[in-house]
Amino acid sequence: MSHQLPREPGDIEIARDATYYRAPATLRTSVETLVGAAAREEARPRMRRAAGLAAAFAAVAIVTWNVALFQAAPSREDMFAHEVLAAHVRSLMAPGRMNDVESTDQHTVKPWFAGKLDFTPPVRDLAADGFPLAGGRLDYVDGRTVAEMTYHRRLHAVGLFVWPEAAEGDAPLKQRTLNGFSMATWRQGGMRYWAVTDAAPTELTHFAELLEAR
Amino acid sequence: MGRHSEFVRNVMPHMDAAYNLARWLTRNDDDAEDVVQEAYVRAFRFFDSLKDEDSRPWLLAIVRNSAYTWLRKNRPSDVVPLDDTAPISEDTPTLGHVAPSDSNPEVVLLQSASRKLVNQALEDLPVGFREVLVMRELEDLSYKEIASVAGIPIGTVMSRLSRGREMLREALELRLKRAS
Repeated sequence: MSHQLPREPGDIEIARDATYYRAPATLRTSVETLVGAAAREEARPRMRRAAGLAAAFAAVAIVTWNVALFQAAPSREDMFAHEVLAAHVRSLMAPGRMNDVESTDQHTVKPWFAGKLDFTPPVRDLAADGFPLAGGRLDYVDGRTVAEMTYHRRLHAVGLFVWPEAAEGDAPLKQRTLNGFSMATWRQGGMRYWAVTDAAPTELTHFAELLEAR
Repeated sequence: MGRHSEFVRNVMPHMDAAYNLARWLTRNDDDAEDVVQEAYVRAFRFFDSLKDEDSRPWLLAIVRNSAYTWLRKNRPSDVVPLDDTAPISEDTPTLGHVAPSDSNPEVVLLQSASRKLVNQALEDLPVGFREVLVMRELEDLSYKEIASVAGIPIGTVMSRLSRGREMLREALELRLKRAS
């Protein structure tokens, strides 16, 4: 580690004067172990993936947090996924019908839902995180009226469906791809969330994490 | 194992970049290792989403997401939205443009800047400024790549770089004055 001084007075260059941290050898080993385990798990039945991967994490003795594990989905969830995707695609196809209320202001979108629903959907603006709110609309999923908030992610649209779900506790994030769309679902605070987008799955993971973190 | 070997060939070589970004975001060795491990498992899962693009910014976007998730859980005060509308002062010199003068006490102080001081000053910057500086200066990413990784417009990348450099220079001056 050199502690040499800047050559020219006041000439400080981050590239030269700040540390570039290189990955320790132990990290390389543990990442190779984890990725190797994940690769082997892919060949196995879905139900066992979660357990196998968890074991791999434990094997290198690290702390995991919020690992969105793929698990075998019940058929009811598959049904919801298809219904939600159909509703989202319909809204994309109908000209000018993407949103019933178009606003980037959560304080406009939220009151719009009042009186139209028997629950209050959480409307949040995520513009600071790169997902500006675009508006809201109503749709019909699982025999009930649900709220869809739409967000933008650069040139992509992200639809967030919300409806109350009576069940104990929260349910972790699950992701899937359906007809080329990325989808994610979770339960938090008595609400079932479904997010759908034509952007990359990583974008949706990020989006879901932002909402879950609030 | 075709997918696995593709991943090893394409993504594994960028582990230094992944660790460097995670280390600058978490500011801690152990936490950076956890973030990189998490990010790599996630990257492997989402490997199919990597098309014909450069795998390094693609990986760094996943590392950044993992790091931000970690920060929100463990140090929520680190993750505050930035006000990108504040004007940049025209007459504040940016790093590297301080007028050279041996009689200037400020310059004398700057001359004693050590790597440790620069590291500390960079670590103390708000994460939104720190990350663009690290990606530009240490990772040599293009403005466009940084915009994609951080999910912000290119104009914002440029203004954050400029303000970040200015804030870093001011922080260094302050530290040097205190140290002397």
